[in-house]
This record gives sequence, C-alpha cells and structure tokens, in this order.
Amino acid sequence: MSEQQLSNLIKMLEQIIANNLHQGEAAEVAEVAATHVHNFWARSMKQLIINLANTHPEQLSTVALQAVVLLQAKSVGQPASFNP
Amino acid sequence: MLQYYDPNSSDTTNPQPLNPNTDYGTPASESKTLVSVAVDGRNITVPEGTSVLRAAALAGINIPKLCASDNLEAFGSCRLCAVEIEGRRGYPASCTTPVAEGMSVTTQTGKLAKLRRNIMELYISDHPLDCLTCPANGDCELQDMAGAVGLREVRYGFDGENHLDTQTDNSNPYFSFDPSKCIVCSRCVRACAEVQGTFALTIEGRGFDSKVVASQNDSFMNSECVSCGACVQACPTSTLMEKTVIDAGIPEHSVVTTCAYCGVGCSFKAEMKGDQLIRMVPYKGGAANQGHSCVKGRFAFGYATHKDRIKEPMIRASIDDPWQVVSWDEALAFSAKRLKAIQAQYGRESIGGITSSRCTNEETYLVQKLVRAAFGNNNTDTCARVCHSPTGYGLKTTMGESAGTQTFDSVMKADTIVVIGANPTDAHPVFGSQLRRRLRQGAQLIVIDPRRIDLLSTPHAGKGIHLALRPGTNVAVVNALAHVIVTEGLEDQAFISSRCDTEAYNRWRSFIAEQRNSPEAMEAVSGVPASTVREAARAYAEVENAAIYYGLGVTEHSQGSTMVMGIANLAMATGNIGREGGGVNPLRGQNNVQGSCDMGSFPHELPGYQHVNDDVVRSRFEAAWGATIDHEPGLRIPNMFDAAIAGTFKGLYIQGEDIAQSDPNTQHVEAALRALDCVIVQDIFLNETAKFAHVLLPGSTFLEKNGTFTNAERRINRVRKVMAPIAGMEDWQVTMALSNALGYPMHYNHPSEIMDEIAALTPTFTGVSYDKLEQLGSIQWPCNDKHPEGMPTMHVNDFPIGKGRFAVTEYLATEERSSRRFPLLLTTGRILSQYNVGSQTRRTDNSKWHEQDVLEIHPSDAELRGIHDGDWLGISSRVGHTVLRAQLSERMLPGVVYTTFHHPGSGANVVTTDNSDWATNCPEYKVTAVQVEVVSQPSEWQRNFKRFDKRQQKLLKPAMHNEGSQHAKPTD
Repeated sequence: MSEQQLSNLIKMLEQIIANNLHQGEAAEVAEVAATHVHNFWARSMKQLIINLANTHPEQLSTVALQAVVLLQAKSVGQPASFNP
Repeated sequence: MLQYYDPNSSDTTNPQPLNPNTDYGTPASESKTLVSVAVDGRNITVPEGTSVLRAAALAGINIPKLCASDNLEAFGSCRLCAVEIEGRRGYPASCTTPVAEGMSVTTQTGKLAKLRRNIMELYISDHPLDCLTCPANGDCELQDMAGAVGLREVRYGFDGENHLDTQTDNSNPYFSFDPSKCIVCSRCVRACAEVQGTFALTIEGRGFDSKVVASQNDSFMNSECVSCGACVQACPTSTLMEKTVIDAGIPEHSVVTTCAYCGVGCSFKAEMKGDQLIRMVPYKGGAANQGHSCVKGRFAFGYATHKDRIKEPMIRASIDDPWQVVSWDEALAFSAKRLKAIQAQYGRESIGGITSSRCTNEETYLVQKLVRAAFGNNNTDTCARVCHSPTGYGLKTTMGESAGTQTFDSVMKADTIVVIGANPTDAHPVFGSQLRRRLRQGAQLIVIDPRRIDLLSTPHAGKGIHLALRPGTNVAVVNALAHVIVTEGLEDQAFISSRCDTEAYNRWRSFIAEQRNSPEAMEAVSGVPASTVREAARAYAEVENAAIYYGLGVTEHSQGSTMVMGIANLAMATGNIGREGGGVNPLRGQNNVQGSCDMGSFPHELPGYQHVNDDVVRSRFEAAWGATIDHEPGLRIPNMFDAAIAGTFKGLYIQGEDIAQSDPNTQHVEAALRALDCVIVQDIFLNETAKFAHVLLPGSTFLEKNGTFTNAERRINRVRKVMAPIAGMEDWQVTMALSNALGYPMHYNHPSEIMDEIAALTPTFTGVSYDKLEQLGSIQWPCNDKHPEGMPTMHVNDFPIGKGRFAVTEYLATEERSSRRFPLLLTTGRILSQYNVGSQTRRTDNSKWHEQDVLEIHPSDAELRGIHDGDWLGISSRVGHTVLRAQLSERMLPGVVYTTFHHPGSGANVVTTDNSDWATNCPEYKVTAVQVEVVSQPSEWQRNFKRFDKRQQKLLKPAMHNEGSQHAKPTD
C-alpha cells in the first residue's frame, strides 16, 4: 500500500459519487457508488478502501463512508474467498 | 454490401454478390425498377439506370474500355467502349449510355472494330513502345486493350509531336508518376475526387497539351495528395506505379487479409512473389472499404521486414543487463518460473496481463484466458482501457450493448452527420472519404471539437456547423443540444414511448429541460455561442436520418462515460436508432479495439461482456476451461501501476501494447515498470515498454498469422497468413506455450479452434465460425440463432436490455483547469501518416510526412509569448515538462494547444496527467492545463530518455547481431 495508491482510490470513489449525485438522497448515491465499486474494482482495491474507512474515516466524505459500509456488506454476501 | 442483379438467376429477389475481382465498368444502379435489354442477342434484365457497359459485363460480355472503372462515374472520354444500338445513330459510348427497355445492343461489328483500332492507334502513337521493360508489363490495361482490339500497326507513326520525353516525378516515396506513359484518361483525377475526395489532381491544359498535374503543378510530395493510392489503383498504364513493383516486378499470387491499422478494418489483397510482399491492393470485396485504402494500409507495410524486428526470444535478469538470446523453451521456462515465484512470494493477485487491440480476437481471448485460468486472477486489461472503455460502459448502460449500432455504409443514408471528438480524414481515412462522399451529396455536417478538422473543409460540400468547444466541456454541449430538442418539441415521442423506459426517460427529461442546461446557460462554460448550439440541435433533430460518429475526443475525459451516455440520449430522444442513416457510432482507434473488448479483455468481464460475478456465466467458463475463475474483478491498467508502485503487483505479461509510450503520466508508468520483478513483453520491436522488460518474446505482424479482427462496425474479418512468422510462432502459439509452461494446458491446432471455443461460450458469437466467415466474407455480430448471418444494424426492434434507458448526464467540470500558472489547455490527437505510438509507421517512409511531433499553438497565444514557427517550446503541466517545436495554427481557438504522441522522444505523455474517467479510469488525455515558453534545450525527461534509450539499444545490440552468448542463463 502506498499513499499515492490510497489517495487515488479516494479520488476515484469521490469522483464516482460526484458523478452520481443526481441519483437522489445520500443513501441512494451511496448505494450506486457501492454497486459501481463492487462491480468494477479489484478485491485488493476494495479491501484498501474498506481498511481506510475503518482507520481514517476523516479522509472520506460522508457519502463515501456510507458507500464503503454498503460495499462491505456486499462483499460479505459474495461466495467464499477464491482458492484456485 | 454492394450487390447486383444477376441476369442468370431466375430468382430476381435474390441478387448475387459482385465478383470483387471483376471490373464492371460503371457503378451499380440502386434502382428497384428492372429493365430488359438484349446485348449481342442475349437477353439481360438489370436495374434501370445501369449502363450498357455494365449490363454487358454482368452478362459476361467484355466491351473494351480504358477510361471506365466501376468505382468511378462514367466519363466517356476514351470512346473505346463504343457500341451499336438498334434504332440509334452513330456509335454511342456504352459507359455513358443507360439501358432502356427493349434496347438491342451489338458490341462487335466490323465498323466498331475499326473504330476501336483507330483509337488505340492514336493512343499508341504517343506512348513508349517499351512494354518488355515496362513495370506494368503483364498488368497493363492499355496493353490488354491493344490485344483486345487486335492492334497490329500504328498508321500515324511515332515521329509526330509527343509527350515521350516528359520527366518522371519520383518525389512520393511509394509510387512514381511517369507522364510519358499517361493516356490522360482522367481515371486518377476522378479517383482522387470521387473515391478519396481530396481533389488533389486535375487535368491542366487543353487538347494535346492536356496533362495530369498535382495541385498547382507541384510534385506529388509537395501537393495536397494524401497518398491513399486510389490514383495508382485507377491508372490503366504504368504512369502511376508502386515503386515496389517497379523494383520487384508483378506479383504472382495474392491472399486477401485485413489491415492492422485503424478500426475501419480494410480488406486488402496482399500481393506476393514467393514469401515477399510486393504490394497491398485494396480489395473491392471488403465490405468495410469496398476497394479504397489510405497511406498506412496501402503502403506502410515495410515495418514487417524492418531490421529492428525481434527475431529470437531473449531474457535478462535485470533491465541493466544485456539481452541474451535463448530458445523458445528457455524463454518460456524462465517466464513461468519467475511468474510462479512472484505468486509464491506476493500472492496470486500479484501478476497480470495486458491484451492488445492490435492482435487478433483469438490472441486476446487466449491472453485473458491465460490470466484468468493460469494466473488464477482477473488482472487482465487491454489498451482499450485508455481509449474506448467509456464506450463500453456508456452504451451498455443506455442501450444494452457495448458496440456501435451501424455499418459504415449506413452513413450514405444520413441527412445530418454529427462528428464529435474525432478526425476521420486522419484517423479513419477510408471512412473519412465515405463521409466526404455523403457530404458532397448534400448531407449537413456538424462538428463538435476544439479543433477545426479537415472534414469542415470538404471540397464541394455545404457549410458545416462547427461547435468549437473548450476542452473538457463535452457534456455541457451535449446537454445543451438535448435541452433544445426537448424544449423545442423535436423529440420522437413515438420512438420514446414504444422503445424506451418511461421512468428513466421522465427523470432525464425533467433534468435536461432545466434552464441550467440551456445553450444560453452553457455558453459561458463551453465557449460555444448558444445560437450555434440551437442551429446544430435543429439540424440534428429535424431531419429524417441523423447519425453520430465519435472518437477519443469523447471518451478520453473525466466524464467520458457520461458523454457517451449523453450521445445515446440524443439518438434515442430523436428516434435515430434501429435503421440505416442514424445510430451511434464509436470510431475505434486501433484495428481490433472492438474485438479485444468483445473477447473479455477487461478485468470485470468474461468474453461477450459477461460479468465475472455472475455465477451461471462463470460456471460455464469454468466447465469449459477446467479451471476455477475468481468472482472478483481484477486490476485495470492504471490500478496495476499504482499497485506496482505500492509493491503488491510484481509481474506483467504484455502482448503488443506499449504502455510506456501510450499511457499518460509517463514518469508514473516508468516508475511502475521499474518496480516490477518480471515484465514479459511480446512484441515485434523493442518498444518503449520492452526497455523495462526481462523477457522479450518475438511477436508476429498481421501478415504472419491467421485469425480475425473485429472493426468499428462489429464486422469480424479474417486475417490470413501471407508469410511465415519471423520467429517461428504466431502470437496465439506463444501465449499457448506460455500457458503450458505455467502448467495450465492449452492445445489448439489453428485459430479456428479458438474461435469455436469463443462461439461456444459467447452468446453474441454462437454462429461464428471460420467456415461461415469464408462463406459470407465477414460477419457483423451478434451472430447466433436469432441472427444467423449477423446483424448490420443493431436495436432494430428492441434493445438487449429491453427498453432503452435514458441516463441523467450532469455536467461536472474536470479538476484539470487552466490557471494563472497553467493558462493553456493541451489536447492530444493523431495525424494521417503515423499510427498511434508510431512503432510501425515510424519504420516506414510515412515518416517523411511527419518526422517529429510538434505543438500547434494559436498565433495570438504565440505572439503573447514571443513564439515563432519552429521555435523550441517548453511545455509544462502539473506533472511534467517536455520540449517540442512550435507550429502556429489557427485550427484551435486561442487558449488551446495541440500535439500528437507518435514519437517516443517527444514526451507528449510526460505532461498528460493520470486524471481519468469516473466510471472506467480511461485517462483524460484531452485536457491538460499547461504553460509554454521558448526554450533552448530538451527537457530533463528527454535527456534521461535519450540516455536510457541509448543504454537499452546497446544492451540489445549484441543479441540482435547474435554476438551474445547463445542460450546463456541469467540468474533468476
């Protein structure tokens, strides 16, 4: 993990949120953002942003934090971790 | 596809396809009315408007001709095609005489024979008698016609005034112009006008003094000629002749294959002598190009045999070591060992692969399969990430399929043509010529682009509407266009209510109708006058058929995906979907961008855009592949770079992609590559990325392999091997061998077997096979039970998602804004003669047109800074600094500067940032805030680049010359 990697992930998440503010209230925007991240981000990226939300929540906007919570829930619902 | 009525067919509703190797003399008539005529006593039924010459040719009767060709309008100058028509006086030219019901034509009589021989005598009296030493000997229409008319003498002699001493123009690197052999048939002039649309050639003078000249009697090289080769193709003598034919002689066999440059996907006949490629001749049977070509596809094939080709596998322990030539087995074993070691130390997700849009469908399919099945993760991505990934996202979201909706031919039915962020005459030249043809027929052009592109200067076309917007404001403009359509009642309500999701539409309509989206409100943002936006919106919405074509000027933005959805909104709101003449058409930059995306190159999607987290889909692939597939998406290219710098991503297999030159923020990319423990590059040259590699696997050019490419129309075309792969293996074989070395077995005997596997797993490809491709020539997917021969126009009755979904497209300004420190906006693009990173075209004579990248700057910006044409300019952005020559240009508005990235030493991407599209991470190449100033020396990056390049060339040289110790093993 590097600072740059984390700052890029934060920027990406906030950018997704900014481009979906029209979706409605904060909860709806967070859901859209969480779904987008769930569908398009790699496992390691998701884990990094989840860890960040847990350790440094101040670095994320309120909606981003909500999105990460939803993302975590979605990830729990996935099949067991992959073992080739 | 062009078709004609076959008089031998009893079924008039089932026309037979043209024989692409036959010249029917004049173009086909599109009339539905049929007329019956008799030619030499044979009854023929053809469409009204067909020329007598063509009708005869369709019936297999060959009337002699010289000035006629079926890709040119009839001209009637040579008179060789004269015929007798019952009830008519004289000897009318059959090329300019249309058939009429009941007409009776005679093509051979004594009088006609005498007339034709006399014409030939006149031609030959002013033509060199050097057939035996002429480069066209055996491939000369004049020679053929002399034989056809029975020329035995030239009664006029050869001592009269003539043109035999005129000088040959050898200025063009690819063809010569020898006026002494010209018969002034005007085919070249008409080909330049009608086929290419450049109008660079003309006939100067009158009567005996008539001669073909380029521009204002300039040399070809200094003229407006764009070297498309249409004139060379049209010439019936050796006046215009390929220099390769002059040097080597007439080819003896040919193979039809598909060009590997842009996304048009032109078909060519690769004409050979033995295994030597002599010339590439555009193939009339190619549905995408129909016999036309551009300077790249037609002439720039010399890179395939360039001395810089990597001919043997090489390895090295570190990038500071010399390359060592090894056997394939050693190189693959070395690669497999390193990749396994990395995974053992850093985990399964620490390696990945990048597929190439230059490689075939079969090859990209295998690379992503290798990553998913052999690497055991989904860290596969493609260079489409940095060009058209927003197209995939935007079109799938709104219309349910990640592809353009039309054929290229569809544009010929468009009444209004909107070109957004694309420069077809440079980047997709053959389609650019077709566009120009339609514009000359009267279609209205709308260009949305910061630059004034050449389409706006199309000769003999009407005035185009140019929305010269500020870089980064696409969404503001597309919203303003939609606002006008909605608020002025220009929507197609019938289409919307029957074909689109009502809830999504209502939400979008409420949003777009808001005053803040009006042209007047957006004028301050985009810089485009509101009145021009309103004019454009009406021109788009008020016609029967309006088509949108777009390029990277749409996708390579922080709101690239939003803009693609905005374009789809416009098309759906006006009902311009599901029929010819309309549609949404992404112009793909490279030959197989569409295919590489179709083949599952993206980390979240298996082939056919099937998401990896879909258990049903995944289980089908797992069963077929005998491997478990991760349900989580993998890393995208920019994410791989970040992870590499963070130390968690350590190994990368790259097939045919030069990320070190083409991706943004070069310093960041270089840092990522340096951080990797194993970089395996499979390419035809030591490209910029390969200088950071540990394994170099020789790639094969498109001439050296079998496979398929899918062009921007979703057209799957065959790529056919015309020469042996330089290092013994085609690219798909290399990937297969690497997989086997890794312990994941792959066994295919031919790419057709790979296509069979693709068809079995991809719903839109279930009907595709090599046999069907041979039968049909090409197939536009989807090709399945519902559409057994493919689908030229998509979404005719419904969308794959049922109803079309309007998307709200809120405009958000990019973070990359001009400031006092960086007051100019840099945007990047391409030019005609060079292709992408230039590794191919820079190794051809195309560089004579473009030896270096330059910075185009508006004269007013230049004057403010004391800049003159040709000055060295330092270009600084927030991330880097580089130096380029200045070229003053009024193509852009003041405040905007422009450059290309065809030369690695230019460092164009040293200044571009790693800002990216919010949905796909497609880089924002098109907007970089910069400052420019006159400087006197290269930038620090450029000096470092030169040193590094010199060092890497030195490390390669012994291996290229076989000076290195053979099969030495570096420590690993």
